[in-house]
Amino acid sequence: MSEKKQQVSRRQFLNYTLTGVGGFMAAGMLAPMVRFAIDPALQPQSKGDFKAVAQVDEITNEPQRFDWTIDQTDAWYESEVTKSAWVYKQEDGSILALSPVCKHLGCVVSWQGNSDYPEQFFCPCHDGRYYKSGENVEGTPPPVGLDIYEHKIEDGTLYLGKAKPREGA
Amino acid sequence: MMQRIYDWIDERVDITPLWRDIADHEVPEHVNPAHHFSAFVYCFGGLTFFVTVIQVLSGMFLTMYYVPDIENAWKSVYYLQTEVAHGQIVRGMHHWGASVVIVMLFLHTLRVFFQGAYKKPRELNWMVGVMIFFVMLGLGLTGYLLPWDNKAYFATQVTLEIAEGVPFIGEATKTLLAGDAEIVGAQTLTRFFAIHVFFLPAALFLLMGIHFIMIRKQGISGPL
Amino acid sequence: MKKGKGMQFVGDSRITADKQKFIPKDYSEYPGRTEAFWPNFLLKEWLVGAVFLVGFLCLTLAHPAPLEKMADPTDAAYIPLPDWYFLFLYQFLKYEFASGPYFVLGAIVAPGLAFGGLLLAPFLDKGPNRRPVNRPIATGLMLLGIISVFWLTYEAAEHVNWEEKAENNKPVLQPEVEIDTESAGYAVFENSCMQCHGDQLQGGGAAPSLIGIDYSVEELKDIAKNGIRTMPAGQFKGSEEELQQLAEFIVSVNEQVK
Repeated sequence: MSEKKQQVSRRQFLNYTLTGVGGFMAAGMLAPMVRFAIDPALQPQSKGDFKAVAQVDEITNEPQRFDWTIDQTDAWYESEVTKSAWVYKQEDGSILALSPVCKHLGCVVSWQGNSDYPEQFFCPCHDGRYYKSGENVEGTPPPVGLDIYEHKIEDGTLYLGKAKPREGA
Repeated sequence: MMQRIYDWIDERVDITPLWRDIADHEVPEHVNPAHHFSAFVYCFGGLTFFVTVIQVLSGMFLTMYYVPDIENAWKSVYYLQTEVAHGQIVRGMHHWGASVVIVMLFLHTLRVFFQGAYKKPRELNWMVGVMIFFVMLGLGLTGYLLPWDNKAYFATQVTLEIAEGVPFIGEATKTLLAGDAEIVGAQTLTRFFAIHVFFLPAALFLLMGIHFIMIRKQGISGPL
Repeated sequence: MKKGKGMQFVGDSRITADKQKFIPKDYSEYPGRTEAFWPNFLLKEWLVGAVFLVGFLCLTLAHPAPLEKMADPTDAAYIPLPDWYFLFLYQFLKYEFASGPYFVLGAIVAPGLAFGGLLLAPFLDKGPNRRPVNRPIATGLMLLGIISVFWLTYEAAEHVNWEEKAENNKPVLQPEVEIDTESAGYAVFENSCMQCHGDQLQGGGAAPSLIGIDYSVEELKDIAKNGIRTMPAGQFKGSEEELQQLAEFIVSVNEQVK
């Protein structure tokens, strides 16, 4: 009886050792591969350089669309990508640059895009609407307001950086 | 919990005999390196399989970055090797594994040959094994082109010249492999990629399955 | 497991109704030192596998996988070589009896016979003997095959200067440079160098790229006059002043890359 018990424990011991050795092999094999695969998630966020977009004196109180291109490096593929923003002067004189990408499902919004809703940004895909400030209109699909570009002004030229989601969004 | 899930499945599909047959078969003393050190020669087959597993896994991960296109193939390999974390290691595993698997297959073949283990009743398994060797060489040959560097390009050109030298069907074979009668280029790369990643592995898995089932059916050959 | 009549199945399936729980086999039934595959034998196999894996990973870390320059079909100077396990065939095809009019013999018939022989070995070597000494023909042919493969591989590898080959074919990302085609130096370049080194200094079949080289003005002047490696002397034809302009132009292009 005692011998039988020993046999069982020996078998268990072998099983544990086997699992250990197998785990070691699997880990040795897979660790570099998994690290390799998840690398994009561990890359630091790109800063996004500021690009000259417009002259400040072109900017009015009415949102205007400005386009500019950035050099984008996508791994081994380098290309130029066009970005755009709706830019206007707020009442206090400061400049607001809104991203045209709808926060609902990523279509492109335009200022007064629908004649039924003047003084609003309109998204043609699902009739999403935003006020001039970029805040979303309650009761339309978008859950939050439009992203705001980081901006700076140097020598009368407007430079835009990355579009950032609103605070509290 | 796991036990209850297992029992639930087992009650319906009866899976226990499937793995019990593999787990419980008795392995004779003469192949056990713990009893006779010289029995390490019996490890070559298992190690071949192990390297094959490494090749399959590392290959799967490499295709996350690789593109089979003459403009970008080299750039993507260069990128994954220099920019991606551990890319050097993963590509290294695939590169060196391709060599090691040939060495292991060679040693395994020699072991079987010199022990006369291919004799009745194992003739069929030997033939399947030789075909596996052939498929492995094909994988090496097609994989060599994929980084699209000078070595790859010119070696493939030589290979295609040899294929063209085959009487009667040579020209057609070359055109089919290269995708074009004249150019070694874009279509050659995509074809070699498809062969390397889908067709030959499919053949390999099929042959390996047959190989292992036959080993299990026939048992291992006795001592000399 | 009992089979045949009297077996009961679940519904119309092939799954037996009276399934017996697995009872581990008693080891005493088997004479000799046999072992169960799981876990006893597999543990030994996997220990070998683990040691093998460590060795393999060391190899991988010690020798990064080589990558040469991006394929350049115009690179006439490149000597193609197959992967090492095809070197023997590559060498075999160099011999007279396997090339030229005998190409089919060397490239198709001989490897085909070898492969066919290997494939059909169990039917060619049918005797009951398994020991190598008792089947001298099979053993002899195999040994002959192995020796010739090793020898051919050695012959092929011996003539190659692997280090120089690797050095000449280091991967370079072709850097983007702007070349001022209006400059005086470029005019000199057009006259003396462009035919081989290309209009964008990119190199060609017989000459390397001039982008990404590390030479001083003085060294370049010397190379232009006296040549280097496969470049013959006397390629540059012009005045001393033009030579100076040329060398400065090439250096200025290379400064963009640094």
